Amino acid sequence: MSGSTLSVAMAVLRRVMIQTFKNPAIIIPSLAFPLVFLIAFAGGLSTVASVPGFSFKGGYTAFQFVFVFLQTGAFAGIFTGYRIAEDYESGFVRRLLIAAPHSRGIVLGFVLSGLARFALTGVILWAIALLAGMTVLGSPVEILAMWLLAALLCIASTLWVTGLAFRFQSVDIGSFMQTPVFILLFLAPVYVPVALLTGWLKIAASANPVTAILDASRGFISGEQTKVALAFALALGLAALMGLWAALQLRRAQRGVT
Amino acid sequence: MATDNGIEVEGLVRVFGDEIRAVDGVDLSVAPGEIYGFLGPNGAGKSTMVLMLVTLLPPTAGRATVAGFDVAKQGPEVRGQIGAALQESALDDFLTGNEHMDLQGGLHGLSKNERRTRGAELMERVGLSDAAGRKVGGYSGGMKRRLDLALALLHRPSVLFLDEPTTGLDPQSRSALWAEVERLSREDGVTVFLTTQYLEEADVLADRVGIIDHGKLVAEGTPTALKAGIGQVSLEATPANPNDREKLAAVLARFGEPAAASPKSVAVRLVSGAEQLAEVVRALDAEGIQVGDLQLHQPSLDDVFLQQTGRSLEGEEEEAEPAS
Repeated sequence: MSGSTLSVAMAVLRRVMIQTFKNPAIIIPSLAFPLVFLIAFAGGLSTVASVPGFSFKGGYTAFQFVFVFLQTGAFAGIFTGYRIAEDYESGFVRRLLIAAPHSRGIVLGFVLSGLARFALTGVILWAIALLAGMTVLGSPVEILAMWLLAALLCIASTLWVTGLAFRFQSVDIGSFMQTPVFILLFLAPVYVPVALLTGWLKIAASANPVTAILDASRGFISGEQTKVALAFALALGLAALMGLWAALQLRRAQRGVT
Repeated sequence: MATDNGIEVEGLVRVFGDEIRAVDGVDLSVAPGEIYGFLGPNGAGKSTMVLMLVTLLPPTAGRATVAGFDVAKQGPEVRGQIGAALQESALDDFLTGNEHMDLQGGLHGLSKNERRTRGAELMERVGLSDAAGRKVGGYSGGMKRRLDLALALLHRPSVLFLDEPTTGLDPQSRSALWAEVERLSREDGVTVFLTTQYLEEADVLADRVGIIDHGKLVAEGTPTALKAGIGQVSLEATPANPNDREKLAAVLARFGEPAAASPKSVAVRLVSGAEQLAEVVRALDAEGIQVGDLQLHQPSLDDVFLQQTGRSLEGEEEEAEPAS
């Protein structure tokens, strides 16, 4: 990575962070959704833990928290990438593209911004969950691994939205930015383990790459590692695929094709 | 190849979709340190031309070099040499003037110290030092334009692109911006490519002017030479009684070809120049036409445009540039 690419990325990151600290409301959407889910489902569905076949050691709050944490990562990426679409509408993207010698620095900057926002919302979410009495049985290394998986999902979702922003150059595409991520997340075993699912949902959950990432993350928080290599391979693959998508759309935008 | 900070354009074409030729085979050359005014009505192709020269839009055909670098093949090198203030002052309302400077400097790879010192110097130069710590959302249009110009200059570019920089500015802000652009060219040797739809702006500021219409360069030269090419002084008369307008037009028609005029007036290009004025006054008097206002105009760039295209630049309806 060239120095100029890093310099561009850090400039973009500084800008997003200044915006975030001057207007904290920016992070509310990416925090509110997961928080509502945690409060509603960890409390309301806690009797699921006593269903035969549910054998998660950390308890239902931790089981549900892992999903919510991954969702936080994905949403931080979506809402960060959304800024590029807003920047297209305001013309700010032109400033970035003219000043930056290499536009990959801009993409890297938005990815770093997504990660920074995820770190911020993730810490708040963890604090709330721990205050609510969530049981954490995993070691510090396992918790770090859980953060890494969520960070990879954040990178993938940032790149997904970045690609869409470069392609459509408008905030009108906003709902399409979120919908596929929603579908992918909710077709994973959100409320019960995949073994307790039946019918089409079980088939969909089994085929969904997020399922392995979710299972591995739940394994980390409960101290019972499972599907670790598969989860990291899938998360890295997803991030790489989305990186390719974003790069292609950036190149397309630079050719002036809209 | 980078030998100077001029601009060379050969047969540049940009087509949108299958048919819209926004720029249609333009050839031009801008010398280092020159202020080149690119004049034309909205939708003529000015902004598309600038977008290609600043590497935001690849040409469909033709070739262009900026500061010796090919815009299509050497984008990073071109971007390193240019500063640009495009039509919209693309600023972030949440950031202060200083934070914009810091962001822009970071994008150009300037060190933290350079960003701070050069940023403060430029904010001072454009008269924004007092507002440097304020959010840009509270700036006036003129302040935003000045900040935009300062941002474009942060990395000491050798070529500056200004796309309609004074649109929407009050006369005072406009004059201040003109003075700064002129200083940049004369003292710092910066090449300036300036698009405008204001005739006066091109006339006052530009060393040479290119007039574009429907994507084609229809005239090019110094403002003086272009106007001299028209050659004839025009006379514009407004009748005291609006009902006499037709009669007035008939009398003036004896002295030259019709020229662009305001709706209540009649104008002609005087065949024999200003010497005909006395003759015209006598003729009007003989016909009993009372004149409310009578003005002699030296040829303007609008006359040049009118001669080349059959239309007047002044009062052109707003029309959108093709989407990129």
